Amino acid sequence: MSCPNCGAPVASTDTFCEACGTTVRRLGAAPTVDLGGSAPPDPPDPVEPVEPVDPDPVATATAADPSNPTAATALGAPVDAAAVDGTGPALLDKTSFLPPPRPPTPDPAVTAPVGPCAECGGPVGPDGYCTVCGVRAQSERDHWREDPASWVGAVCDRGVRHVRNEDGMATAATEPRASFAALVVCDGVSTSTRSEVASLAAARAARDVLDAARPSAPDDPTARAAHWGRHLTDACRAASEETRRAAEEVGDPGNPPSCTFVAAVVQDGALVTGWVGDSRAYWLPDDGVAVQLTEDDSWVTERVALGVPRAEAEADGRAHAITRWLGADSAVDTPRTSSLRVDGVAGWVLVCSDGLWNYCSPAPDLRALVSAMVAGHPEGNAVAPGLLAADLVAWANGQGGHDNITVALARLEAGDAERWQDATLEITVPVRLDPPDGAQSPTAGGT
Amino acid sequence: MAEFTAEVFQNEYLPDGGTDVHAIVSVTCRGAGAAGQSGGGDAAEVIIIDTSGSMGQPADKIRAARVAGQTALDRILDGTMFAVVAGTDQARVLYPANTPMLVRMDANTRMAAKLAVERLTPGGGTAIGRWIDLAGRLFSSVPVAQRHAILLTDGRDESERPEELQAAVQRAKGFFQCDCRGVGENWMVNELRYVSSELMGSVGLIADPGAMAADFDQIISTAMSRGVANAALRVWTPQGAAVQYLRQVAPAIEDLTARRMFVSDLIGQYPLGAWGDETRDYHVTVRVSAKGAGSEQLAARVQLVVGDTVVAQGLVKAIWSNDDTLTTRINPQVAHYTGQAELADAIQQGLAAKSAGDDVTATQRLGRAVQLASQTGNDEATNRLRKVVDIDDAVTGTVRLKRNVARIDEMDLDAASTKTTRVARTEEA
Repeated sequence: MSCPNCGAPVASTDTFCEACGTTVRRLGAAPTVDLGGSAPPDPPDPVEPVEPVDPDPVATATAADPSNPTAATALGAPVDAAAVDGTGPALLDKTSFLPPPRPPTPDPAVTAPVGPCAECGGPVGPDGYCTVCGVRAQSERDHWREDPASWVGAVCDRGVRHVRNEDGMATAATEPRASFAALVVCDGVSTSTRSEVASLAAARAARDVLDAARPSAPDDPTARAAHWGRHLTDACRAASEETRRAAEEVGDPGNPPSCTFVAAVVQDGALVTGWVGDSRAYWLPDDGVAVQLTEDDSWVTERVALGVPRAEAEADGRAHAITRWLGADSAVDTPRTSSLRVDGVAGWVLVCSDGLWNYCSPAPDLRALVSAMVAGHPEGNAVAPGLLAADLVAWANGQGGHDNITVALARLEAGDAERWQDATLEITVPVRLDPPDGAQSPTAGGT
Repeated sequence: MAEFTAEVFQNEYLPDGGTDVHAIVSVTCRGAGAAGQSGGGDAAEVIIIDTSGSMGQPADKIRAARVAGQTALDRILDGTMFAVVAGTDQARVLYPANTPMLVRMDANTRMAAKLAVERLTPGGGTAIGRWIDLAGRLFSSVPVAQRHAILLTDGRDESERPEELQAAVQRAKGFFQCDCRGVGENWMVNELRYVSSELMGSVGLIADPGAMAADFDQIISTAMSRGVANAALRVWTPQGAAVQYLRQVAPAIEDLTARRMFVSDLIGQYPLGAWGDETRDYHVTVRVSAKGAGSEQLAARVQLVVGDTVVAQGLVKAIWSNDDTLTTRINPQVAHYTGQAELADAIQQGLAAKSAGDDVTATQRLGRAVQLASQTGNDEATNRLRKVVDIDDAVTGTVRLKRNVARIDEMDLDAASTKTTRVARTEEA
C-alpha cells in the first residue's frame, strides 16, 4: 500500500507514513471489535437474532456421533447427496466463480458507502469513490473483519469482480485460547435474489445457536463431540430458517435467496465441522498432515465419486454447480458433519468460501500459503488471526478476486489441551476423495 | 437543452506494481441548439479574408474569396454579432466600415456586408498577427458569450516577425476560437496549424479556389450549430497521482496537456471551447502510485463542465491484479488512438525530414505512417500518403519516396495529418 497523502510506500504493518507522517491504515481494514466478548458486535444491517435453541441432550444422533454408522464419511465411500437429502438430481447453478460483466454503475442501494473513506478519511463522492485518494469506498457489508478473541479472526470481502458481497460470516470465541470458538461462513448464491441478506442472517443465526450451546457442552470429549454434532445440526436448521424468512421478505418465489453453510466449532481439542454446499473447513497443523474437513456438495464431487476423472469433471460447465444448499427452494436443512481431535497440536483452523479455495484448493497447498503469509509477520504464528485472514483475502483478490472471499481462522497451540489429552475420541475426517499426491491419506486415529 | 454523456473505454486492470492508466473518454453532446440562442448571450463571428497582393495571382483566388465570404455571411444566423476583416500587412475592418465594432446580423447588415466583400481588391503583404489582433478588438467591442473567427490566407506571414504573430495568438488564446484555411501552395502549414491549434480551431488546405465557398459554408454552419458556448474538461486525479498527458484524439489529434488550468490540488481544467451536437474522444493517461494486487481505486474522474456545472462524468479506474489474462488485455480504443497519434507524428516527421533532404528518415517515417494508417483503417490518410510515396507493402510499411511530388499534395498530407478515424466495428468486437 502507499501513503494517501504523499504516495510513498507504506508497509502493511505501519500505522503512519515514514515519509510525511500521515496516519495510514490497511486497505479496507474495518475497525476491529472489542476482544474478550463472546460474539462480536455485528456489522451494520442488523438482523433479528434467533432464539437460542435449547441444547437438548437427547437430540437424535448426528453424523458426528461415532456410534452412528452413517456418520463418518469414510474415504472412498461416495456420498450420494441426492439419496441423503432427497433433493434428487436438481442442480443449483452456482456459477458465481465465472466473472459476470460488471455494470458501469454499482447499485447504490446495496453498495452505498457509509462514512468517510476508510483509507484516508476523506469525503466519499456520490460515485462511491473517495474524493481525495480515489479508493473505492466500501460499505461495511462489502468488507468487514471480526476479531472475537485473540486467537480467532475473520474477514469477509466483496472481492474484485462482484458488485455485491453475498458471502456472510459470523464468529464467536472465548478466552483463553482453544476454550471455545465457532466460525460460520455462508456463501450466498449469486444467481438468486438478495442472497446477501440471507447469507449474513443465516451465518449469524447459526453462530448464535452454537454460542448458546457452549455452556452446556459436556466435559467428556466423546460426549462433547456428539454435543457439537447435534448443535451444528441445530445451527444449520436455524440458518436454513433465516434463508426461508429472507425468501418471504423478498417475495420472489421463483428465485429465492439461498446460500451454503459451513461451521466449525473448536473446543478444548475437539474440532467439529458441519456443512452444506461447497464452503470449506481445513485443519492446517504446523506439522503433520493438512486435511480438508469438508467434502463439497458439488457436481464435480459427485461425478468424481461416480468414477469420472476429476480433470474431466472440473472442465465441465456445471463444475461449479452445488448439489445441496440452504434456501426456500431446498429440502436440505441438515449438514454433513465431521470431527477431528486436535489436542496438543499447533496449527490453524481455516473456514472459507470458494472465493479463497478456488485459487488454492488442496490442503497442503493451502497450508503452504498460510505459512508464507505467517512468515511475512515478525510475530509469526502469534500474528492476529484477523490480520492473517486479511492477508489471505488480499492474496485471493490479487489472483483476480473473481468471487466474494471469506476467511475465518482460529489458532491452536501445542499446549492448549493439556487438561484433557488423556481422553480418547474417534476421529472421522472426510478428506478429498482423490488426494492429488497421496499425501492426504485418511488419518483416522489423529495424533 | 444540451445533454452530455461520457463513456470510458479502458482496461482497468494493472499488473502488480503498475502505475500508468490509459483510457479513452468519449464525450457526446446532443440537443446543443444554435449559437447565441441558448439565452446565455449573443454569439459573435468575424470573417478574416487575406487581401494581399498574391490573392490576385491568379485572379480567380480573390474572386473565390469574395464568393466564399458572401457564402459565410449567408450562413451566419440573424442576431449574431459580426464583422469582416480584410488582411494585408495591415488589418482593416471591411465591414462595418469606419466603425471598429461588431454589428448585429439582419437582412440589411447582411446585404451591406456582402456588398463590401464584393469590392475586395488585392494588394499588400501578409501580417496574420495584426489581423488576429483586430479581430480581438472587434470581439471585445460588445459583450458576447461566444466568439468564433474564420481566417483565410494564401501566403506565409511575411510582413511581421514570428514573435509578433506568436504574441498576437497568445493574446487571442482563450478569448476567441479560430478556424484557419490556406488556399494554394504558398502558405505554411506549420504556421497556420500553430494559430488554429492555439485558438481551438481546425486547419485545412483548399487546393482549388472553387472549393472555398463550400468549405466556408461548412465551417460557419458548424460554428453556428455550437449552442454550448464554452465547455471544459475537468480532470480529478487522486492524491499522489498526476495526469501524464491529455489529448483529444477524435475528430482530430490535439494535445491539451499544457492547457491545464488550476482548479485545486487534485483538479485541473482544460478549456474545450464551444460545442455542438458532436462526439469528441480524449485519451487520458494518469500515473498513480503503484499498489498491490487486489487493490482498487479511481485513477481519474473525467468531467465535462459547462460554466461551473458538471454535465457528464466518466470514471477511470485502476484495479491491480496478478491475473495476466486481465492485465495484458489491450483495450481496442486505446490501441487505435495510440496508433492514430503515432500516425500523425510519423507523417509530420517524415515530411519534415523529406524537406530537409533526409530521405532515409523520410522513407522510414512515412513507411511507418503507411503501416499505421493501414492498421487503423485510416483510408483517407492512406490515400494522401499514396500521393507522396509509392507503397510496396502497407503491412510492413515498405515504401519508396515518389519523385516530383506536387507541393500541394505534401501540404495536404501535412495539414490533414491530425485527422483521425474512429474505431472500426471489427476492432471493437
